Amino acid sequence: MSRADESLTQFERDARVVLDESVRRIDGCTRSRLNQARHAALAATGTRRRAWWGSFTLMPAAGAVAAALLVAVVLWHREPAGTPPVALGAPHAAAVEDMDLLTDNDSIDLIEGWDGSFYEWAAAQSDAGAESNS
Amino acid sequence: MPEFATLASPYSMPAALHGDVDLTDPEEQTQTRALNQFLAGVELKAFKIAQAALRHEDDALDAVQDAMLQLARAYSGRPPEEWKPLFYRILENRIRDMQRRRTVRGRIMAWLPLRGEDDDEDFDPVAQAPSLEPQPVRRLELDEAVGALEQALQRLPPRQQQAFLLRTLEGLDVAETARAMGCSEGSVKTHYFRAVQALRAQLGEFCL
Repeated sequence: MSRADESLTQFERDARVVLDESVRRIDGCTRSRLNQARHAALAATGTRRRAWWGSFTLMPAAGAVAAALLVAVVLWHREPAGTPPVALGAPHAAAVEDMDLLTDNDSIDLIEGWDGSFYEWAAAQSDAGAESNS
Repeated sequence: MPEFATLASPYSMPAALHGDVDLTDPEEQTQTRALNQFLAGVELKAFKIAQAALRHEDDALDAVQDAMLQLARAYSGRPPEEWKPLFYRILENRIRDMQRRRTVRGRIMAWLPLRGEDDDEDFDPVAQAPSLEPQPVRRLELDEAVGALEQALQRLPPRQQQAFLLRTLEGLDVAETARAMGCSEGSVKTHYFRAVQALRAQLGEFCL
């Protein structure tokens, strides 16, 4: 009898005997399921350890790939010293011209004072002149 | 020149698959063995404690399984002497979750039509029949005592039941029981004392 048992009353000691007996009577099916649960838990421990270890071993490779990507991005965006500015193509030039027109105060005045009938008459005159010449 | 068939070296065997327990590391091997030994030592008693609280075998098995998994996943790296209070703390939380869920389910089911007797679990007359083997007197006494104690335990308030089972069945000391229950040592002593008083009042002396 252990020291802890000595401090127990007779009732508590008897209760312990009865409870131990109830544990001993747990059927085989339940024991088997508990056994399976235990092995599942142990497998989960192995998975967790392996996942941690796996990520650790892959860390140098992942670091090298990340560094290579970083270098590639820096080189891609960096303009070499002394490179002349690239000439804009026709669409870019047209777009810049449109921006000039829009920001020009005179052009805005022209639009505000738009006399449609006069320009239509002038266009008709020039068309009529061209036909008579031909 | 004839070519010789060569056998693969045993060292070239594939490594353990993902999910397998890698037993190549001696430290891990020792820890896994220690955890296995610990869980094997507590699983039956833990099942009885969960069964007393939940009064349902499958729920008790689920609770113990969840507690084992959580201990293995989250706390297997802790010192082994901490495992027992931690394990029972996890189990207690799991039992409370299940009891809470069951209460909610009971409230919902109360609004639904009553189920017929056909929905009850199948009655197995062979399993329910008393064994024909001759029982010694001692065994009969124990049978009666086990049944009476289990019934009396189910009438105890949950905290008293838990304190009594952790102290008497699992053999935890007051400090370990307090850690497992998440309360002070004084509360453990109070719950345990009241549990013993209530059980004695219901059962008298066992006279085993």
